[in-house]
Amino acid sequence: MPIIVNLDVMMAKRKMSLNELSEKVDLTLSNLSILKTGKAKAIRFSTLEAICKVLDCQPADLLEYVKEQ
Amino acid sequence: MKIEISTKHILNVLQVLSWIIFIGLCIEAGTIIFNLAYTFAVKPINTDNFWQGADLSDLYRNDHGHFMVIALFMIIVAVMKAIIFYLIIKLFVDKTLSITQPFTSKLRATILNVAFLTLGISFFSHYGSDYVTWLSEQKIEMPDPNKLDLYAADVWFFMAIILFVIAKVVKRGIEIQTENDLTI
Repeated sequence: MPIIVNLDVMMAKRKMSLNELSEKVDLTLSNLSILKTGKAKAIRFSTLEAICKVLDCQPADLLEYVKEQ
Repeated sequence: MKIEISTKHILNVLQVLSWIIFIGLCIEAGTIIFNLAYTFAVKPINTDNFWQGADLSDLYRNDHGHFMVIALFMIIVAVMKAIIFYLIIKLFVDKTLSITQPFTSKLRATILNVAFLTLGISFFSHYGSDYVTWLSEQKIEMPDPNKLDLYAADVWFFMAIILFVIAKVVKRGIEIQTENDLTI
């Protein structure tokens, strides 16, 4: 998929573990893992809002478009 | 007191009904197989009441081959009907039917199998019924195709088409459900 989720990069910048993020955004570890590994098909605005709030970042910091070869 | 009928209750009732119909169809198939085997292996005493009053004694006297073919048509149709209900019962027993996650590849496979079996029943009923009509035209006293359970081929065909469409819808349902599961 040409949309890359940079959740792991932002988590590393904020020095936050997956467990901590999971508790703060109220998402299960498995769902966050799906998002982190890029297996997710879609993301709800409410989820994006919660993650941006906790990681203090913009949606553009989490999502990136890369042209497929 | 208000009685609430939930989906679970409806499914339980359908399961009981499926079991009753399955047992009935097994008895039908078993009886016809037994009657055919007994007629050929022991003696033809039950050809005048082959299945639910269907008199095939004239056919048996005329030609054993035709008698065998008619019995085989009846056996194939009865066994196919029994297999359909076996597949439906299997859905209930394996707990494949889930209200929270209704669209599964197992459900689609079962619907497709039932559709193919229904198409088979339609085919055998149609040709069986035609065969009975042809035998009647040969001056052989034949019972009505309804009595031999070789009827309503068009209805079975119609049902098969509907089931194929439902299988297609379930396929799309599986895709949507998977997409929904992967929406975070």
